[in-house]
Amino acid sequence: MESKNTETTPKRGKLTKHDVKMLGVRSLFNQSAMNYERMQADGWTLAMMPALKKIYKNDEKGLADSLKANLQFINTNNYTAPLLMGLEASLEENGEKRSTIDGLRIALFGPLAGIGDAITWFTILPIVAGITASFAKQGSVLGPLIFFLVYVAMFFARIPIAQLGYTTGTKAISKIRENSAIVSHAASVLGCTVIGGLIATYVQITVKTKIPVSAGHTIALQTQFFDRIFPNILPLGYTFLLYWLLKKKNVSPVILILATFIFAILFSWLGVL
Amino acid sequence: MQVTLMQGILIGIFAIIAGIDFWWEGFYIFRPMIVCTITGLILGNLTLGIVAAGLTELAFAGLTPVGGTQPPNPIMAGIMTVVLAYTTGKSPATAIGLALPFSILMQYIILFYYSAFSVLTKKLDTYAAKGETKKFTQLALLPTWIVGLSYGIIAFLCVYGAQAPMKDLVNSMPVWLSHGFEIAGSILPAVGFGLLLKSMLKAKYVPYLLIGFTAACFIKFGNLMPVAIIGVALALIEYNRSKKDVENEKKMKAVMENVNNDGDDEDGI
Repeated sequence: MESKNTETTPKRGKLTKHDVKMLGVRSLFNQSAMNYERMQADGWTLAMMPALKKIYKNDEKGLADSLKANLQFINTNNYTAPLLMGLEASLEENGEKRSTIDGLRIALFGPLAGIGDAITWFTILPIVAGITASFAKQGSVLGPLIFFLVYVAMFFARIPIAQLGYTTGTKAISKIRENSAIVSHAASVLGCTVIGGLIATYVQITVKTKIPVSAGHTIALQTQFFDRIFPNILPLGYTFLLYWLLKKKNVSPVILILATFIFAILFSWLGVL
Repeated sequence: MQVTLMQGILIGIFAIIAGIDFWWEGFYIFRPMIVCTITGLILGNLTLGIVAAGLTELAFAGLTPVGGTQPPNPIMAGIMTVVLAYTTGKSPATAIGLALPFSILMQYIILFYYSAFSVLTKKLDTYAAKGETKKFTQLALLPTWIVGLSYGIIAFLCVYGAQAPMKDLVNSMPVWLSHGFEIAGSILPAVGFGLLLKSMLKAKYVPYLLIGFTAACFIKFGNLMPVAIIGVALALIEYNRSKKDVENEKKMKAVMENVNNDGDDEDGI
């Protein structure tokens, strides 16, 4: 083994700044062959390929081994993927052991998926969607325009993210582990605050029923009862009911969507809503 | 209003681009915010598209493809909401509900592809083992092209082919039914928010949810910016506090270790 190691591991190619940039751009391919067997692995490998080819140069066996290793199951967030790609590229370049590289990739993709999803899907998207939708509902082109610009910027952020992974290398790992909990905690605080606002603004339930109290005198349930307790109390209550069903009863979202339709149509027929 | 053949083809082409974008999660033009706007533009009624964009985007806010799951499809929802509002003259809020079957149809097609594309993995392994990078690239990109093409065909068929029967169906609906769809459209965001909360909400985050809710109820402002700023402020407070906690914990550990060492020494003496 010793003699074989000295034969294959040294003399690895070095990536240029441009190569790392392209790695960030190519992270776009991460989901190109998404499937249930190993999720993003095929696309992940496709994204890494030019960097690996450059690193292994003429070492065909080294390249084949690396490609095969990269084809193992992976499922992470698309904006933290370039970080992990940059990190792996720097490890491959330094000639770390195959088992070290694979171990780190497998250990990190889960935590990185968690923090990436918390920031991109659960914080940035609701905020951007909430604010741009308030423009769009008034027919203002600013809504879609701002939305588009934000996500073009998000795409180009993949480049510095890949560079960050590449330059910080193994140092990054302890930092990521230490900070990911704090960052996703802060992101969750922001996300929950905004979702609270979104519930109040965008879920609309207005009860039409009026209850006759005495001759010629009625109480409108919505304006004279619910709104006096707290505005938007019904949307909040309904959202919590759905949350409870999703979380504790494991009801599928599609069933809840259908149930919402049946509920809405039934109450429309009864004249309540 | 009727969708012309040319408009149907243009929407189909746009669906291919948006479909590939969704598959890759690249530029987020697959979100209803963009899909509705472009569909409105193609149909020559940009304002209708933008208004529908705001409504549909929020209805799908929580329906995200996190962790390899597939939500009801945002592209078909966006396209069909605008197309149905345009052809039947109903409000976009009603059209969101009517578009839902198309969205769920596409969701199941994508789920089928997730399973189907597993057959490619063996061949890709062989190419990788032989270091045949060109063939690997071609095969690893094949699913993307298949998915894109499917979007184009299905969008065209739904938009152009199904418009007449859909129009007849919608026009024969009694008022209470189409009103029911409209109500459902305005309650639907609750499902998305429920889903977001499922992944985010822990007991310790409930206060923030309540702060955001109350702020939005009483701050009368055109958009959610004030609530977002309050959220940023709270997040910064929490970030600094947690950071301090971590540092303090480290210091405490160091102190405790010293104490323990001292204790051992004393015992030794």
